[in-house]
Amino acid sequence: MKPDKLARMANDIAHNLAALGDAAPAAIAEHLRHFWTPRMRKELLQLIQAGGASLEPTVVEAARAL
Amino acid sequence: MSAPRVYVPADAAALSVGADAVAAAIAAAAQARGIEIQLVRTGTRGMLWLEPLVEVDTADGRVGYGPVNPADVASLFDAGFPDAGAHPLGLGRIDALPWMARQQRLSFERVGVIDPLSLVDYRAHGGLAGLQHARDTGADAVLQQIIDSGLRGRGGAGFPAGIKWRTVAQAPGPRKYIVCNADEGDSGTFADRMLIEGDPFALIEGMAIAGLAVGADRGVVYLRSEYPQAIAVLRRALALARADGLLGAHFDIDLRVGAGAYICGEETSLLESLEGRRGQVRAKPPLPAHHGLFGRPTVVNNVLTLTAVPWILRHGGKAYADFGCGRSRGSMPVQLAGNVRHGGLFECAFGITLRELVVDIGGGTASGRPLRAVQVGGPLGAYFPESLLDTPLDYEAMAAAGGLLGHAGIVVFDDSVDMAAQARFAFEFCALESCGKCTPCRIGSTRGAETLAKVSRGIAPEANLKVVEDLCTVMTDASLCALGGLTALPVMSAIRHFREDFGP
Amino acid sequence: MPLPKVIDYGTPLRESADTVTLTIDGRAVRVPKGTAILAAARSHGIEIPKLCATDMVEAFGSCRLCLVEIEGRRGTPASCTTPAEDGMVVHTQTARLAALRRGVMELYISDHPLDCLTCSANGDCELQDMAGAVGLREVRYGQDGRKHRTEAKDESNPYFTFDSSKCIVCSRCVRACAEVQGTFALTITGRGLESKVSTGSFDFLSSECVSCGACVQACPTATLNEKSVIEHGTPTGATITTCAYCGVGCSFRAETQGGQLVRMVPYKRGQANEGHSCVKGRFAYGYATHPDRITRPMIRARISDPWREVSWDEAFAHAASEFRRIQAQYGREAVGGITSSRCTNEETFLVQKLVRAVFGNNNVDNCARVCHSPTGYGLKQTFGTSAGTQDFKSVAQADVILLIGANPTDAHPVFASRMKRRLREGARLIVADPRRIDLVRSPHIQAAHHLALKPGTNVALINALAHVVVSEGLVREDYVRERCDLASFEAWARFIADPRHAPEASADITGVPAGELRAAARLYATARNAAIYYGLGVTEHSQGSTMVMGMANLAMATGNVGRVGVGVNPLRGQNNVQGACDMGSFPHEFSGYRHVSDDATREVFEQLWGVALAREPGLRIPNMVDEAQSGHFKGLYIQGEDIAQSDPDTQNVIAGLSAMECVVVQDLFLNETAKYAHVFLPGASFLEKDGTFTNAERRISRVRKVIAPLAGLADWEVTLGLAAALGYPMQYAHPSEIMDEIARATPSFAGVSYARLDELGSIQWPCNAAAPTGTPIMHVERFVRGKGRFMLTGYVPTEERTGERFPLLLTTGRILSQYNVGTQTARTPNTRWHDEDLLEIHPFDAEQRGINDGDRVLLRSRAGATSLRAQISERVQPGVVYTTFHHARSGVNVVTTDYSDWATNCPEYKVTAVQVTRTAAPSDWQRENAARADFLRRIERELPEGAG
Repeated sequence: MKPDKLARMANDIAHNLAALGDAAPAAIAEHLRHFWTPRMRKELLQLIQAGGASLEPTVVEAARAL
Repeated sequence: MSAPRVYVPADAAALSVGADAVAAAIAAAAQARGIEIQLVRTGTRGMLWLEPLVEVDTADGRVGYGPVNPADVASLFDAGFPDAGAHPLGLGRIDALPWMARQQRLSFERVGVIDPLSLVDYRAHGGLAGLQHARDTGADAVLQQIIDSGLRGRGGAGFPAGIKWRTVAQAPGPRKYIVCNADEGDSGTFADRMLIEGDPFALIEGMAIAGLAVGADRGVVYLRSEYPQAIAVLRRALALARADGLLGAHFDIDLRVGAGAYICGEETSLLESLEGRRGQVRAKPPLPAHHGLFGRPTVVNNVLTLTAVPWILRHGGKAYADFGCGRSRGSMPVQLAGNVRHGGLFECAFGITLRELVVDIGGGTASGRPLRAVQVGGPLGAYFPESLLDTPLDYEAMAAAGGLLGHAGIVVFDDSVDMAAQARFAFEFCALESCGKCTPCRIGSTRGAETLAKVSRGIAPEANLKVVEDLCTVMTDASLCALGGLTALPVMSAIRHFREDFGP
Repeated sequence: MPLPKVIDYGTPLRESADTVTLTIDGRAVRVPKGTAILAAARSHGIEIPKLCATDMVEAFGSCRLCLVEIEGRRGTPASCTTPAEDGMVVHTQTARLAALRRGVMELYISDHPLDCLTCSANGDCELQDMAGAVGLREVRYGQDGRKHRTEAKDESNPYFTFDSSKCIVCSRCVRACAEVQGTFALTITGRGLESKVSTGSFDFLSSECVSCGACVQACPTATLNEKSVIEHGTPTGATITTCAYCGVGCSFRAETQGGQLVRMVPYKRGQANEGHSCVKGRFAYGYATHPDRITRPMIRARISDPWREVSWDEAFAHAASEFRRIQAQYGREAVGGITSSRCTNEETFLVQKLVRAVFGNNNVDNCARVCHSPTGYGLKQTFGTSAGTQDFKSVAQADVILLIGANPTDAHPVFASRMKRRLREGARLIVADPRRIDLVRSPHIQAAHHLALKPGTNVALINALAHVVVSEGLVREDYVRERCDLASFEAWARFIADPRHAPEASADITGVPAGELRAAARLYATARNAAIYYGLGVTEHSQGSTMVMGMANLAMATGNVGRVGVGVNPLRGQNNVQGACDMGSFPHEFSGYRHVSDDATREVFEQLWGVALAREPGLRIPNMVDEAQSGHFKGLYIQGEDIAQSDPDTQNVIAGLSAMECVVVQDLFLNETAKYAHVFLPGASFLEKDGTFTNAERRISRVRKVIAPLAGLADWEVTLGLAAALGYPMQYAHPSEIMDEIARATPSFAGVSYARLDELGSIQWPCNAAAPTGTPIMHVERFVRGKGRFMLTGYVPTEERTGERFPLLLTTGRILSQYNVGTQTARTPNTRWHDEDLLEIHPFDAEQRGINDGDRVLLRSRAGATSLRAQISERVQPGVVYTTFHHARSGVNVVTTDYSDWATNCPEYKVTAVQVTRTAAPSDWQRENAARADFLRRIERELPEGAG
């Protein structure tokens, strides 16, 4: 999947779960596990490893739990 | 001392024979002669052959002149007017005239007497005493007075008003209505109009009392568009009543004007029309008392029913019930019309016979020819032959004689009448005015007229009269409302009493 | 099946705990209080002649045939308008009554053409029946009286005629239009014998008539008659089945003559529609036998090749070998399937089974992805189940209805009629919609509040409503304490009480005045019963799922979940979109909404299917399109879904499809997607197969075969053929056996079987040991998830914003006569009402652009451009334009973007920044698409006629 699209999808999730505050990263991770294919999750991790500048910090934190 | 009062009716019947011109001529003559007068426009006394009837105050009471033409005005003044003076048109004391003296004017007591739009006059003549009494004694007492009075619906059906009011009073619901049926469409009737034009506050007071009795804070008057004068008077009266505080948040009245359909005088069609729909009869049940205007408990009463109420409250139900006979208590404003010498409004207690009314009071036919038939109760009323003229005028006696009292309109015919044509007219009237909802009325009225035409053309008269008779049974028993249901009355009474007219 | 007679009780049957007992013709009769004598008699087998009475409308009392005699009462009252009372003694057959009825019939017939033998209603005419019943032997009025026999016939409606010369003025049509449909298009003009049924317009087509068919249904004579009956004659057989249009799921009698479908008549006992219908289900079934139908399988190596007709076996073998090749070459995950919300539950179940058991992955999705996937997500999070809470009937007890982002009079007309009936009874309505839909104000309907919000600001709106509830002390605390998760409530209440959610603060975002919003919130919160109904205007947004949860929060906080008259109710688009979701057509869920990672559930299916199943979620439709473009996804089996037209950002979808190596399309028609397909498998319409559909109220209804499949196979049989060719034979002799498997594997369907469905008529799931006859209302004593959970719903503005280049917001919707992408309705005379998509634009915006009504305009977004004609309308607010998406040639989805709901990837169809300019020509895309269409649809016919 195109990295920018993947990033946008991940950030959308982060924005909508932002109200959870500290609980947000765990909720994001759960959402990704629940709805994303392993390949999409893997590509997200690759994106983070490659710098992932456009990603929300909570996404980056969530990815650690994947 | 204030200027002498001169009374000229502004009732539609008086206007139609030039009352305005007479009033103008009187005003002009008075001014020209430097005589100060107070011109008062009143309702009519109901003696239509005397209109325009001009009255003046005297020490003995009101004296009258009539019928007055504008051309007569100068000679009136020459004879000393507005002080009573001898004049060929002079009638003497109005209340001494036999027409007036023989009446029991309860509902019409102020009509023709007072300025209809003067609350001062109204109060001075006993107005609002009934409402005050109602306020003092409360709803239950009012209902009891109305029940005690024996007052029955004056629109034609004759249902006890007190029972209807009590039903509405007991019906649950936050909003109730008082609806006044002033869609006076019967031929030969004009009492509603005369009352509204001559004493509109009596109607307002009657409705306010009804509202108090049943717990309604809204009233509606449904007034036919053919009565522009009555509309104007009532509209003005309502405004005055509001300004006076007589009407307001506690009870207010809306004036709605009909659109020319006879059927809207039928109470359920009237409600449909008020709700903005096509004037079409509703099936009963539910009764309007339970499910009336906008689905709310509603009193629907005729003008004459409601205007009888202030008198009853002022004098007591018992006093009202002292008039009349049998189960027909109180008085009835009878309207004499058609081929009659003295036509007009004559209010009297129930029990008077048709003959007294038509011959003694009405003076027989206007044409001078022998009287042949009298139709009582409007276009759906029965035709009475001369032999039945001793029938007393009350609900039960009229029904027993095969007719109905209706709105107490009496139309007189002399011996030139073609009763087959009258019977056919009954069907044609029904065909024209049918709302078109139920089959017997919608199709039967037209078929009836067609079949009677065949009879008149000599086409199988016996067989076709049997068809008409069968049709009349179907219309009587199967019609949804009184329009189709009563059409058989004029038709069959004409056939029964005047069989000789049916044939080529 | 022979034509069964449907009993007409004459007046509506009443429901009441109180009963009355009376005697009719010597028989003791007990009926619920309020029942008219006519229905009381008929329900005990006593038939009283009648013409103006029919049980679909209230009694009217005009024909005067149903007169009876009641002991102790005067006269002969009509039995239709007289309520049965305790102790009444009624006689329906006396000499007096017989004479009256004959007299009335004699009048009727004196004004009726005597052409029974050549009349289209011959044998199906109540006037004829009554003349017989009352023993009419002569009409003594002769034939020369005034009549209506020369009245002109109105044939303007494409589906039925109005022949005034045969009219008996019973007003059944007028009353049906008012009471059942709620449109008030018909009236009676004139009076007496001149009384006539009128549309108040020139003719039916030009009138306000919505062609629902209620008047035709109500008519006792040939006055209003289906053209199909006039053409073919009276039906001789009938099959009860379920409509294949919207999610209302109306029950119909498909009436036939031999193998010919003559008409579709709404079925009175159908629990979803209770005898009502709309123009689509009632009349627009002609697509099923349209010449465009493809009835032979076809294959081609490349999409630039012409199609080649082949046998079923060759088609199956080709598709199977391609899928196996792709999986061998690109991996097991490189193929997937899309189930159809148009097909039956059984068919849907088989496709997902094929993907999971045969393809061995979870790459299965369905069109709920692009409509109500946020509903599934949001309601599951809050209530614990992915479906609406009520049955349709519940609306009859709602006192306040909050309608959000739905336009039921166009999109769910039969439900709209039920809703309108309740509104006419006095329920209050709040409409939240950017556009002034009909329900804001139409005959006898006026919304108490129209919250005309800006597109894309739903969540700000719902938060503001909730803020009023919380800050003004309108929370139903007892309910929340007892029924909901208190910790989640407290967190939510703190969140929502923040001043940034106050109506005054959000007014700038939503454009809704704070006072209006506060009044609406109070109205909703203080109602005895308040119900939320919503549509795609909620879900098809970047925050679709958040909004669904926001509505659920509001309903819980005000105690409006778990009884009749309340609830949170999605109005679902497709006939079986609920069912498709229930059947496990999601890449993360098995049937019954159980996640693929759940070992216990997987074990059930592994045992049943005899294969190991994948535990990781698969691709959703938009992901498939993206992954195809990335080279990871190569093969797709699409049953009954036209993603090239219905999914957003058409050019992106086409790029995805074009990147695949094997696209198998199973459909009635060579649709837009089939232009990019390699195998075409002919589908069967709902008339050609057995199965079940599940509607928006979770109601499972039978679909029954009315005619033989045109292509020889029903869709479920096609999937069986494909599975067998893939080496996984599935053994089902009948769809009922598929349902048995579903029931075995799905707890919420455990009690469902065809036998049970035949017995009960229909069943609302869950249906199992705990609820043997199904569940009309959910969450009654406790929420499915235990305690209702409040979710925090922060407003996140969409990325899709207007600016200098694209200053207007486009939002889309549907129109009554057309359905979705027009596959069906565009192939019927429904195009008489709507033959092109129009762009509604506010006069202010139109004037700025020099656009006149009817001008062709170019509609442009960053995704693409199309052209269509403009309609200047104040139904839309300034800054917003609106269009429908029914016609392939306007291709509105070329303009919509690939933005989507954060949780489910449901596309953000409802918000696209656009520019509108006058144009003279079609857009580039439209030109190219039109040019390519014929090329991509070439068929090389090789097989002789009759083969295949």
